[in-house]
Amino acid sequence: MASAQLTDEELFSELKRLGFIPGPVTENTRPVYLKKLKKLREENLEQQRGGSRQSKAQSKTRSAALNNNSSSPSGASSRPAGSRPARPGRKSAVLGFSSDESDAEAPQKRKGLNHGAKANKAPGLSPSPNARLSPQISSNTSLSDTGNVRKSGGGNPTFPSPRSVSLNWGSRAKSSAAEADGVNDESGEEEDCDAGQGELKSRSLNGSRTSHLGALKTRPTGDYSDSDEEEGVGGNGKPGLPKEQPRRALHRGPYAYKELGPGGTDMVSPRRDELELGPKRRDPIGANKPGHNFTRNYSENHGGEADTNNHVSGREAKDGGVYSYTNSGLRSRFSAYSSVSPQIYRGTYSNHSRGPTPRRPGPDDELLQQFKREGETASSARFSAHYLSMCLLTAACLFFLTLGFMYLRMRGASEDVAVWRHPFGSEFDEAYNETEKALVLNLFVKLHEYLAVVAGDYDCGNQQNRSRSVPIEEVEEYLQTQNEKFRSFLLVSLEWVVRTGQDVGIRLLGAESSEPLSDVSEIVRLESTHPRMPFTCRFRRAFFNVISKVLLLAAVVGGVWGLVFYVKFRWRREEEDTRRMYDMVERIIDVLRSHSEACQENQELQPYLPIPHVRDSLVQPQDRNKMKKVWDRAVKFLSANESRIRTETQRIGGSDFLVWRWLQPSLGDKNIPPSKVWQGKAFPLDRRNSPPNSLTPCLKIRNMFDPVMEVGENWDLAIHEAILEKCSDNNGIVHIAVDKNSREGCVYVKCLSAEHSGKAFKALHGSWFDGKLVTVKYLRLDRYHQRFPQAQSCTAPLHSARLHSASTCPS
Amino acid sequence: MSSTSQKHRNFVAEPMADKPVTALAGIGDVLGGRLEEKGFDKAYVVLGQFLVLKKDEELFLDWMKEACGANSKQAKDCANCLKEWCDSFL
Repeated sequence: MASAQLTDEELFSELKRLGFIPGPVTENTRPVYLKKLKKLREENLEQQRGGSRQSKAQSKTRSAALNNNSSSPSGASSRPAGSRPARPGRKSAVLGFSSDESDAEAPQKRKGLNHGAKANKAPGLSPSPNARLSPQISSNTSLSDTGNVRKSGGGNPTFPSPRSVSLNWGSRAKSSAAEADGVNDESGEEEDCDAGQGELKSRSLNGSRTSHLGALKTRPTGDYSDSDEEEGVGGNGKPGLPKEQPRRALHRGPYAYKELGPGGTDMVSPRRDELELGPKRRDPIGANKPGHNFTRNYSENHGGEADTNNHVSGREAKDGGVYSYTNSGLRSRFSAYSSVSPQIYRGTYSNHSRGPTPRRPGPDDELLQQFKREGETASSARFSAHYLSMCLLTAACLFFLTLGFMYLRMRGASEDVAVWRHPFGSEFDEAYNETEKALVLNLFVKLHEYLAVVAGDYDCGNQQNRSRSVPIEEVEEYLQTQNEKFRSFLLVSLEWVVRTGQDVGIRLLGAESSEPLSDVSEIVRLESTHPRMPFTCRFRRAFFNVISKVLLLAAVVGGVWGLVFYVKFRWRREEEDTRRMYDMVERIIDVLRSHSEACQENQELQPYLPIPHVRDSLVQPQDRNKMKKVWDRAVKFLSANESRIRTETQRIGGSDFLVWRWLQPSLGDKNIPPSKVWQGKAFPLDRRNSPPNSLTPCLKIRNMFDPVMEVGENWDLAIHEAILEKCSDNNGIVHIAVDKNSREGCVYVKCLSAEHSGKAFKALHGSWFDGKLVTVKYLRLDRYHQRFPQAQSCTAPLHSARLHSASTCPS
Repeated sequence: MSSTSQKHRNFVAEPMADKPVTALAGIGDVLGGRLEEKGFDKAYVVLGQFLVLKKDEELFLDWMKEACGANSKQAKDCANCLKEWCDSFL
């Protein structure tokens, strides 16, 4: 490309031949068109060779040249810089890539986000790379992408991005030794696997590729090589058919792997085919292939072949995370992801030492697929987790139920065993022989049961028996029915009961039930202390017990909560009222102030306003009742706290009204309208925006007023005053003329000499006056005199009337 | 008004007349100085360049970078500014 020898016409025709219609080739546009020509030629080469190694090599060389040219302090800076424009610059290479543009649209946004993420985080890493990044980002020609960059510049990258970006930088720097693009590509990718940062990976891929390859050709600016590299990548994917890409990538695969060394298994390379392409390519491929990529990855990763490539390990990490999630069934999504990312980071670091890493297919689609899969697994895991929790819950419930039943049973159970271990002591054993003892004890058992049943029935509400206790005669009869021999033993056994102080389950009542019994003869009734109730009765009682307690608790809690709620409600209401009151106060003040201002202009109005009138004008009729309280509070507040409003009584139309008068703070000097003031300088005057030396003694000042907006009679005098004030130190202004009819607000000023006018220029140009930016120009003296002949004779300097009036020129 | 600066809005609001080149969005003092050294002392001269490049944004960006060393954001702002101005007044 001997572009230097091209004449303008030749350049023009060359561009036209390549399908681009250029504008005129002038000395200014020549370099631009030269660059364009080179770009187009590159594209042509890419197209012709179908993006084979050569073009890649060319792009690599060019991009390597970019790296050299950039001479970045750390390789990292140029690499991402190179990579970043790669994607957006693609749009510039419009020819023949229409099929990919549509694909580029959607991901560009996300990539733009990553752009921004990267751009955001880059400053944190080192200032210089950032500085260099920005010029190279400028090679972006696509509107959307840079728009995205800008947009995302303000956005917040997600949590992995800082780490990912820093790791990108670091990884790239580290992998400078490695001679293959694959390493950085994958590392970059793996780091950014989360949160849809596949684009970042793609870009890093490009960048790393460009940075690492040998430089053969120097480029004048980084942008062009970026776009070249971009073009190279684009050319790679130019056919846009997934079929072709594997073939192409296969070419590149072995090429890359040759340099990488270990790890390039055949199993890997086919997968890499789809993966190892320019970022744009990735999307269509990703769209087509993520499914079986994924399945392949998953199947491979289950084997846990972390050694072969980063991609696998990274994927495995991801999958491992997912699978551990499913296996455990209890890990939350977040924990899975968080575990995944550190694993991935670890994986990437380890991969640097290991070597090649395949790239992930179509980041967007791949991630989507991944999310879907993880969603599936997550949902299944969730279900199992759900079932597990349900099981646990039911188990706990059953446990407590059985516990309760057992407790109930214990409460109402007969104490057969306890009876046998009678509390009568050893004397009882000695007094009787075995059969008698058994008899006595049997008696006791029967008695106990009988009494227990009676008591239970009574307690449960079956009021068959009149009381809980049983008279002794009935006891005798009962025992008689049980066993003949019991009768004789009854009194004896009862005596034993009396003798023992312990509770055997039978209480002996005398005639007066409150007195403790001492003698058997006094026993009138017998009662059981351990009533045995039927199970339902027990359950019912327990149930009611529990329910009543729970209800009581709930009532207490509800009461407390209601109280709190009520208190809060009231407090909120009060706040609301106060806010409305203040709002009303402000509105009243505004009304009064505007009214007083209107009064100033129109002297016919009264300077005060009746309070009811103000209220009626501020508050709608249907709200008046509701706002009454607010209004009253506002009125009270105003009378107490507002010093600018005075409440007084006036007679209006024959009846007394309470009115408000707005006390306008005094304005001071009324001669000069207060609005015409100088408000500072917009930009400092220096060589660039003002002529180096003043040219003429006449100035034309623009934008000092707006003729349609001026009111009053002497506003031009005010303008005079203003100018003289501004140039008060300048003793050389001899004539000022305000062109009242000029649309631009022009004021003409003549000074004694060019030097004075220069001073005035410096003072006036670029200042803000009355909200307008004033600009000053020099006028030719003769034209000024043509226009203002009276100025020819003015020689005496003017002074501001405020400061001290001096003589004026005779007009 | 997605993210246009005040300068952009000011420029696009009215015919540029004799505004200096620093009135363009994205062109500050430094870049304005460099452009003026090359002869582009007024905004309309830069507009001329933009029009000569047939309002092609990409080419204009390249030219801006080369002429005054603007970064992509500045060049883009300038290009947008000019483009919008052309849409309104040309």
